Amino acid sequence: MAFLEINRLHKQYGAVEVLKGVDITIEEGGFLVLVGPSGCGKSTLLNTIAGLEGITSGEICIDGKVVNDLHPSKRDIAMVFQSYALYPSMSVGENIAFGLEMRGVSKADRQKAIEGVAAMLQIEHLLKRRPGQLSGGQRQRVAMGRALVRDPKLFLFDEPLSNLDAKLRVDMRTEIKRLHQKLGTTIVYVTHDQIEAMTLATQIAVLKDGVLQQVGTPDEVYSKPANMFVADFMGSPTMNLIDAKIANGDGTLAVEIPQRDRSLSLPVPQPPSSLQSYSGKSVVLGIRPEDITDLDGADPKAEHIAQAPCSVEVVEPTGADTFVVTQLGGKEVTGRMRNATGLSVGEDVPFAFNMGKIHFFDPATELRIA
Amino acid sequence: MSAASKDTALRTGAIARAVIYSVLIVFAVFYLLPLFVMLVNSVKPLDEIRQGNMLAFPQAFTIEPWIQAWGEAQIGVQPTGLKPYFVNSLVMVIPAVAISTFLGAINGYVLTKWQFPGHRIVFGLMLFSCFIPFQIVLIPMARILGLLDLAGTTSGLVLVHVVYGLGFTTLFFRNYYDAFPTELIRAATIDGAGFFRIFRRILLPSSGPIIVVTVIWQFTNVWNDFLFGASFADFDSQPMTVALNNLVSSSTGVKEYNVHFAGAILAALPTLIVYVVSGRYFVRGLMAGAVKG
Repeated sequence: MAFLEINRLHKQYGAVEVLKGVDITIEEGGFLVLVGPSGCGKSTLLNTIAGLEGITSGEICIDGKVVNDLHPSKRDIAMVFQSYALYPSMSVGENIAFGLEMRGVSKADRQKAIEGVAAMLQIEHLLKRRPGQLSGGQRQRVAMGRALVRDPKLFLFDEPLSNLDAKLRVDMRTEIKRLHQKLGTTIVYVTHDQIEAMTLATQIAVLKDGVLQQVGTPDEVYSKPANMFVADFMGSPTMNLIDAKIANGDGTLAVEIPQRDRSLSLPVPQPPSSLQSYSGKSVVLGIRPEDITDLDGADPKAEHIAQAPCSVEVVEPTGADTFVVTQLGGKEVTGRMRNATGLSVGEDVPFAFNMGKIHFFDPATELRIA
Repeated sequence: MSAASKDTALRTGAIARAVIYSVLIVFAVFYLLPLFVMLVNSVKPLDEIRQGNMLAFPQAFTIEPWIQAWGEAQIGVQPTGLKPYFVNSLVMVIPAVAISTFLGAINGYVLTKWQFPGHRIVFGLMLFSCFIPFQIVLIPMARILGLLDLAGTTSGLVLVHVVYGLGFTTLFFRNYYDAFPTELIRAATIDGAGFFRIFRRILLPSSGPIIVVTVIWQFTNVWNDFLFGASFADFDSQPMTVALNNLVSSSTGVKEYNVHFAGAILAALPTLIVYVVSGRYFVRGLMAGAVKG
């Protein structure tokens, strides 16, 4: 039985439909990340789970109990807000204990709970301070402490790291992951950062314009994106999406990329049956930058490496890798090369394409073919 | 080169500053002149005033006019001085300010954090009351006070001032709470706090500046009000302003200017004290409401 179950959830503001029939389930102890561009409805979805916003139709169940009409404080949830929402007039200790105080927990028990949480988050020395006297990272910890202290069934995080600087964000990300592994709680986490989603989640739900695009493990979402939107959204640099054509040459399929002088033909190994019907038609070829490499850098375990000469247009060294931009089918295509391959702009060099890891999408529906 | 230009900048700055300060000092003296006249003449014997020269310092210093104004002067039919009316004013002002400030805070809280359909219209209508001249409501208000059996009582005056002050206090608190982060309310909701608990524990502790602004504003307005006091009060509930008028404009006997001056200062003293004590919060609080974020 799923721990959190959302069925056909609709949410309207007047005539504007923000959530258009969302279905998500998550097991106990899971880490669900809602990800999508701004305005996709992910924060609204989180607020409806919290009960801060009503729903138009549908059903939300937490631990087998329908909570549609339950007040937020009765849903046994805790929430960490983007702005941290620490009560400015209370000390850190009072902030953490406020929820317990409202629930009539005795002062001695509250003190014990504060100490426990403070020790876990290493904020013991801050308990007497006011939120205004804390740094961003410290506020973040206090906000998490306030959620943790109540030991709720479900944790909700609303873009909790977006106000931190880059380095602190990575540290806190690791910390959240460690806390989740240690406590085994169920978490729903909203972010627009796909790297946060990949690193933290056990389940990722990708939303766009209030419609769920795909739900799956990080690996599923990354290596089998359900449509072009998910393919484009997950991964950095983004997946290369190239207009191409399927050519059928005596039983073996090849993907043809039209070029200015000559069209580039790459054989498709073991083509899935769903691709057969596209023979002779146009498709969108998706290939991630890490699957376009120099010949030496190609995955030695990959079975099907295709080679093709491409002209180098831009070289972007990042330290560990060098991103090389070329043109394929009229689009800019990025490949991820080993460091210091000594490429120079304008040069024609053979690129290696890992044909075992390519994706095909229907150009009309934008859905995944194979 | 840079040193030279800095030098000239300093010198022209000094000249400009001297001009600005002298103009300011002239204005300050000009505006303080009436207060000076009142103070000086309130400690002179009456014959000294009759000789003319209002601006001169007293030759014979006396506090007799102050004692007269406070406890002995003839106001109406009784030689009571202003003392009982001062008490009347306090008994009216304190509840009127407290109630209107509290209700304004609750209104502002509801209008920003518990919005209901049509909240904008309700707020617009409440704002309207800020612009209605007092005279328009005199007759309907008299009728309502009569119906409520509050005519001529201090409670009636308190009611009038609360009703009239509500528009302003609501405006102040609404603008202040509008900039208050809604996520705090949401966090407290999840923590299990209800309507009044959130108000008392989360909003009120952060409302110091706007409470000061509202209290000063209401205190000054209610204390200085003459029209409502003259229209709706009886002899035993007349506020200070009405009594001062009766003292100054009584047509019998000698005009005791020194007593009148002392009485006028007594009447203005509470608002003066409120300003001096919390004036700097007033400016700060007004700014806090004006520029949000």
